[in-house]
Amino acid sequence: MHSDRPHIFDRALLIQRRAKALPALHNHDFLYNWTSDQLQDRLQDITRDFPVAVQLGEFSRPITDTAIVMGHTDSGNIIGDEEFLPFAKDSIDLLSSNLTLHTANDLPGALIQINYALKPDGLFLGAMFGGETLYELRDSLMQAELSLNGGASPRVYPFADKQQMGGLMQRAGFALPVVDSDIITVTYPDIKTLFADLRGMGQGNIITARRKGLTHPRLFDMAEEYYRTHYTDNDRRLNASFEIIFLTGWAPHESQQQPLRPGSADRSLADELGTKEMAIGDMVSP
Amino acid sequence: MNQLVDPKLLEILVCPLTKVPLRYDGEKQELLSDAAALAYPVRDGIPIMLIDEARKMDDSEIKK
Repeated sequence: MHSDRPHIFDRALLIQRRAKALPALHNHDFLYNWTSDQLQDRLQDITRDFPVAVQLGEFSRPITDTAIVMGHTDSGNIIGDEEFLPFAKDSIDLLSSNLTLHTANDLPGALIQINYALKPDGLFLGAMFGGETLYELRDSLMQAELSLNGGASPRVYPFADKQQMGGLMQRAGFALPVVDSDIITVTYPDIKTLFADLRGMGQGNIITARRKGLTHPRLFDMAEEYYRTHYTDNDRRLNASFEIIFLTGWAPHESQQQPLRPGSADRSLADELGTKEMAIGDMVSP
Repeated sequence: MNQLVDPKLLEILVCPLTKVPLRYDGEKQELLSDAAALAYPVRDGIPIMLIDEARKMDDSEIKK
């Protein structure tokens, strides 16, 4: 039905992976907890009430006590898909998204739908994985696959980077968009433990073009060898970076600050600066 | 007994495909989208708003 859309991620598989991760999530939820704290901090800076709050992502604490949670498993209030949001136009005061948007096949579409569901002057707060996430693992697996198979297959997600997100937020029609990011580096004794943690977070590989079937028996040993040579701390543990991009944007409303019309200034800049205005003059003689 | 959908949810939910309002069938535990001819199931009070999980409605069920 939607064959014209890009299909980077297998969304049906995502739902399975999430459901499988849910029972033991408490052993792997440190990132979700950290981003929840960060989003709640950001919300506390805003002195306003948000009566209707919705959170996308059921693996982390709801952003407010009364927030309606939409997720992929039955531990939320609604099961839904970020790519087809089931929310009415202008119905939500605060919409937060906690580590869910990185698996959207159509990220601009998801952002547009978020904006659509927000009331005018409603707030969107999001946390998502950014382009620096797991770069050590990506590099190590690629190097190992190149030497074993002569080519690489996608094993780590293509993440959006911070610079792109600013543009996407604007394209989706958000007013006063702010994008910033933080990198958290976690260390693991070996690749196996890192994979177990990723699966535990419900973030196992769901790339549609992922390599199916048998993996070369030496692949993970070789990747780990490379990893340990290039990306370790002093204790020889493997460093794994997670870049979290934070998104803030408002549904447009006339009360928000607006840029002035060009040429509408009634004072000259030279007067404000206490300096003399000098004409550039004709630089080129006729 | 079947758990009913929280009225708070009914106020904001629409059909994810067409964004039109839904009719709630409390007996069958379904949220009906006449525009898309899809019935979204409700399990234990949790609306499943996935297009792939929705039941295709018969012509006779659709209210115009």
